[in-house]
Amino acid sequence: MTTRQSADPAAGGFDNLVHAPNRLRICALLDTAGEAEFGVVQEELGLSASVLSKHAGALIDAGYVEQRKAVRNTRQRVWLRLTPRGREAYHGHLAALRVITGQ
Amino acid sequence: MARVSIMETDAGSPGRSSSPTPQEALAALAEAERVQASTTALSATPWPLWFTTVLTVYLAALPVVYGGVVAEESWLLPHEAWWVVLMVMIAAFMASFAYAARSWRQRTGVALRLDVLPKRATVPLVIGAPVLVVGSAWAFRFTGQAGWLVAASVVGAAVSVGFHLAFVRLHGRRTPARPA
Repeated sequence: MTTRQSADPAAGGFDNLVHAPNRLRICALLDTAGEAEFGVVQEELGLSASVLSKHAGALIDAGYVEQRKAVRNTRQRVWLRLTPRGREAYHGHLAALRVITGQ
Repeated sequence: MARVSIMETDAGSPGRSSSPTPQEALAALAEAERVQASTTALSATPWPLWFTTVLTVYLAALPVVYGGVVAEESWLLPHEAWWVVLMVMIAAFMASFAYAARSWRQRTGVALRLDVLPKRATVPLVIGAPVLVVGSAWAFRFTGQAGWLVAASVVGAAVSVGFHLAFVRLHGRRTPARPA
């Protein structure tokens, strides 16, 4: 759980971990949906299971995303959601991007 | 996809903390907004028709039943009977809602959110619905005019149908947020 914000003061809450395109999209989806099933995230973002696992794992390791396991139709499903820390990092990152673009 | 891979590698490199160019930042913001729009449309998946019907009937019946409960004298049924009808109706609706919400979550794979529609639509509903039910019942009690209850029933049913159509419309705009 290390802080990954940029040292560049102009970037403010810029977060290198969140900025990776697929991770930014995962964060955008989870921030909007509240909680989403792994398969739905995969389908919505057009990612393979291994790519999504890799990025979700990185976000989980950073404490930005948490997972919950639930059984449906005898199969175990994984649900993902942003933690408060992850939500803060995502919104801080968006704010930093807006600063960069001058919005 | 090539652009995505390059940005992925750069942004994920340990120890590297360079900020993106304004163009890259703009592209990232646009992509996030696209995913948000697509996910909002997914979250706006309408209720199944059976639950929309249950909700419409419930909202139409509630003013009439509550009117019977608060009526000064017995109206159509004894007060106790209206109370029983009200309690049974609420319990049946809550059970239906719990089942429908569970099925909806399993079908869509996202959390059920009650803030999908804009606040300009939901805030008047949250304030207006109780005012409509309670106000029409007490207006009926003081005036004896059942028209208050009928009008509230019609408004309740219309609101239910209107919100369902709004969800259908919002959901219809959905396109998966896959990379362009």
